[in-house]
Amino acid sequence: MQDLTSKGRGAVTSPAPRPSPVRRLGRALTPLLWLGPSLALIAVVVLWPVIEMVRTSLQKITSSGVTLGYRGGGNYTDLIGEDDLIPVVLRTLLWVGGIVIVTMVLSLALGQLLNARFPGRRVVRWAVIVPWAASVLMTALIWRWMLDNYSGLVNRVLLDLHVIDEPVNWLAHPGEAMLWMMWVAVFVSLPFTSFVILAGLQTIPSDVYEAARVDGAGPFRTYFGITLPLLRPAVLIASIINVINVFNSFPIIWAMTGGGPGHKTDTTTTFMYKLAFFDQNVGESGAMAVVNFVLILVMVLLYLRAARWREEIR
Amino acid sequence: MKRHLMGVVAAGLTVALGVSGCGKGSSSGGDSDGKTIKFVAAIYDDNTKPYWDALIKDFEAANSGYKVNLEMVDWSQMDTKVKTYVQTKQVPDILNYNAFSDFARDGLIYQASDVVSPSTLSDFTPTFVQQAQYNGTQYGLPFISSARLLFYNKDLFKKAGISEPPATWAEVKADAQKIKKAGSIGYGLPLGPEESQAEFYSWAMNNGGGWVDATGKWAINQKANVDTLGFLKDLNKSGLTQPNPETTDRKTVFNQFAQGKVGMAIGGPFTKAGFIDPVDKNLNFDVAPLPSKSGAEHNTLGVMDVLAAFKKDDGKNKEAVKKFLDFFYKKENTSKFLTTEGFLPVTKSAGDALSADPYMKQFVDALPTCKFAPTSNPAWSAVAGAVKQNLGNSVANEDPKKVLDKIQETAEKAG
Amino acid sequence: MTRRIVLAGVAWLVALAFLVPYLQMFFTALKPERELTRSPGAYLPSHWTWSNFVDVWSAAPIWTYLQVSLIVAAVATLVTLACALPAAYYTARNRFRGRGLFLLLVLVTQMFAPTALVIGIYREMVALNLTDTLLALILVNAAFNLPFSIWILHGYFSSIPKELEEAAFLDGAGRLGALTRVTLPISMPGVVTAIVYTFIAAWNEYIVALTVTASPNRHPLTVGIPSFVTQYQAHWQYLFAASLIAIVPVVILFVFIERYLIGGLTAGSVK
Repeated sequence: MQDLTSKGRGAVTSPAPRPSPVRRLGRALTPLLWLGPSLALIAVVVLWPVIEMVRTSLQKITSSGVTLGYRGGGNYTDLIGEDDLIPVVLRTLLWVGGIVIVTMVLSLALGQLLNARFPGRRVVRWAVIVPWAASVLMTALIWRWMLDNYSGLVNRVLLDLHVIDEPVNWLAHPGEAMLWMMWVAVFVSLPFTSFVILAGLQTIPSDVYEAARVDGAGPFRTYFGITLPLLRPAVLIASIINVINVFNSFPIIWAMTGGGPGHKTDTTTTFMYKLAFFDQNVGESGAMAVVNFVLILVMVLLYLRAARWREEIR
Repeated sequence: MKRHLMGVVAAGLTVALGVSGCGKGSSSGGDSDGKTIKFVAAIYDDNTKPYWDALIKDFEAANSGYKVNLEMVDWSQMDTKVKTYVQTKQVPDILNYNAFSDFARDGLIYQASDVVSPSTLSDFTPTFVQQAQYNGTQYGLPFISSARLLFYNKDLFKKAGISEPPATWAEVKADAQKIKKAGSIGYGLPLGPEESQAEFYSWAMNNGGGWVDATGKWAINQKANVDTLGFLKDLNKSGLTQPNPETTDRKTVFNQFAQGKVGMAIGGPFTKAGFIDPVDKNLNFDVAPLPSKSGAEHNTLGVMDVLAAFKKDDGKNKEAVKKFLDFFYKKENTSKFLTTEGFLPVTKSAGDALSADPYMKQFVDALPTCKFAPTSNPAWSAVAGAVKQNLGNSVANEDPKKVLDKIQETAEKAG
Repeated sequence: MTRRIVLAGVAWLVALAFLVPYLQMFFTALKPERELTRSPGAYLPSHWTWSNFVDVWSAAPIWTYLQVSLIVAAVATLVTLACALPAAYYTARNRFRGRGLFLLLVLVTQMFAPTALVIGIYREMVALNLTDTLLALILVNAAFNLPFSIWILHGYFSSIPKELEEAAFLDGAGRLGALTRVTLPISMPGVVTAIVYTFIAAWNEYIVALTVTASPNRHPLTVGIPSFVTQYQAHWQYLFAASLIAIVPVVILFVFIERYLIGGLTAGSVK
């Protein structure tokens, strides 16, 4: 940025003929011609709701939905006064961290597997893609059904294997329910992530491995010394997208436990929704939404900083 | 640079707005001719939509030029939908819902006398008219009512050696223990987020508890309520209920009841047709008054759903709304709805139609002892929301008093 | 050789693990309603009720839901592509004032999910008088998936040597001609990836559709299908039959484009 401007100033003082104002204007407008549609779409559909949301968080809105005017930071004080806020935020961090880490580790293995040669590889790839093609909501619903206390498949299998003596009501106990929901989130994140890893693996030229073999590097050293570093960009992009998607994930928790019992399996996203539609407090829900965004912004920026993102986009 | 950007954004907005003009097209009803109205009805079961479809067809045939656009919404989505309607100013002309007072407070709906004829208005049973008032004026139009009684499985009772349904709480516990010993679940306790406020109140009112005190002030954390939760918690912790009442909905409890696996549960008139018959038409069960702590008097929970008519287009919709509502409140139309869905009457004229059925008669007879949730208080919907989310935990791992204190706080904050 | 067999064995087990929930979906969809709530649950239906797959069409307007989902997803994808292609191409080929700012804006936009903004979105749609329209769903889906598409395409265009285009340009193809005749065909995998990602995301979108649409004839599958399980009744067999009807076409789509997909994702990870 800085040197671009100085270069521009240099051009003015140079003896070369100055371009006419019209042409200069034209040149300045060219990027807008190409970027315009994107900017317009982002401004109208993304930035507008952001502003709406911030405004909402400062307004007093009745339970029936009528706006009564501004109430300053009142919604934020109410939100901070919620006993459930801190546990919900901590749970959200655990939810995001746990899911993304497990997804990345499993995807690295899965990508390697899908990259190897074996009979029926294409069919296996198709199978792995299915959870991506199926809507997350439907996948969450089938898992909820399989985990049903009375007639679920999971209890049936565990009973038949004599792992448990009587049915376990998986989704009623916050701890177990969280683990199962995190598993479902990993399950639906795996296809996209492992395909990004697979794509990354295919960009690694085979002569690199050739060289390693000549050097006498074992499979372990080859993987950690060559493959993993070369996969860095793929891992980076996949994990950012996962952090964002998992953080904002709504259907899994909504379909499986509804955030209950109480608020014991809520993340900030479901908590925000319940504030608006159960507690009838749209203003406070708006405040939660703002806090929610600040959280993800901080998380992503910290991650990018740790991963030195600026070098990636140059 | 910045200025150009603004220009493009502005242009983009204009385009979007322009597009929206044509995108709208023939969306919702409420056109300004005042003869087309939108009616949002709640789904009670699979028969609800056919009923309204037929009724609207008859109405349109009898009143040419008038049109009713029907939209069916499931109860589990109703709160979300209603809020969206109001906030997005897309309110229907008529809404079938379980609350009305906050609409009345915010000046969104007509008074009852504006939208039904005097003869319809005088036909409503006084008990329900009282529930439909806000600040002394009737806004809600009573639609259906319901009462709760104790359902018990006679076969399981016999197997456990119990001859009479329980009248006191002590008997409830003793009977549940016997049923458990005989290998079944004693009492089915649905305290999940679906309708925990109704289950709780059915017990609390029979211990002298309730939502408000004699002066109408919130009294959610009163001792009688804490004791009620203590009793229910004891049932749960003694293993006499189904596992995890805090996440169980009525649907699940009555499915198990219908399969003959639960000894007792609290249900309403629709429970037989809605939950039991689809699973086992020959289930040997009966109903009894709700047990009370002392056994001296037995109150029952009354539930009333209402119709509310929204103000729209400077009152242009009033005439069509009135025509349709008076049509629905004709005796034959209301009683047909009640028999189709298994609910209790709110009008005097439809009252007798149901008493012919011995099963239904028990509920009709219970209506005079009904107590209602304070639906005429505009803060009720927020309170009910808080109860649904948090109450269940009190019988699991949290302290009943603390849970109720928190709900009391929410109630006082909401008004 | 044994290594390959072991590998294949593991891979086939993994594939099975991915399919188990959907097999369970299939078997549940084939059970008669009364068998569903039996406890403990049975592995297979005792009466294979194939008629569930027929009855489901009349139990709910599945066909309408399908059409809505298809229209929303397809048009949103087109809009995204129309906006993303020029932006990605220009930022990949040119250095200009505000480029870094634009890319940062894209990244920040990626962080906003419709879920987090749902209240703002519906208040906006009121202001635009767009509630309960498909256009609202199309705009939302297009905008929120735009960042990923720009990202992927930007990466892909950057990886294509400028010289290729310049050759075409010199042949008199013109700037736009060079783009459409040379660069775009080479970038097909990137474009396919952007299409797939947007399409699937729009196809799966739930919360905005739930809040913004009201009439049943504007409900996409994600909103329509869960309505089989209501407060009073649970038709799980229909719910899963309808889910399968929705899933199968997308899986078939994936089968055909899986090869492009890997190529396209490569671009995203190169950059």
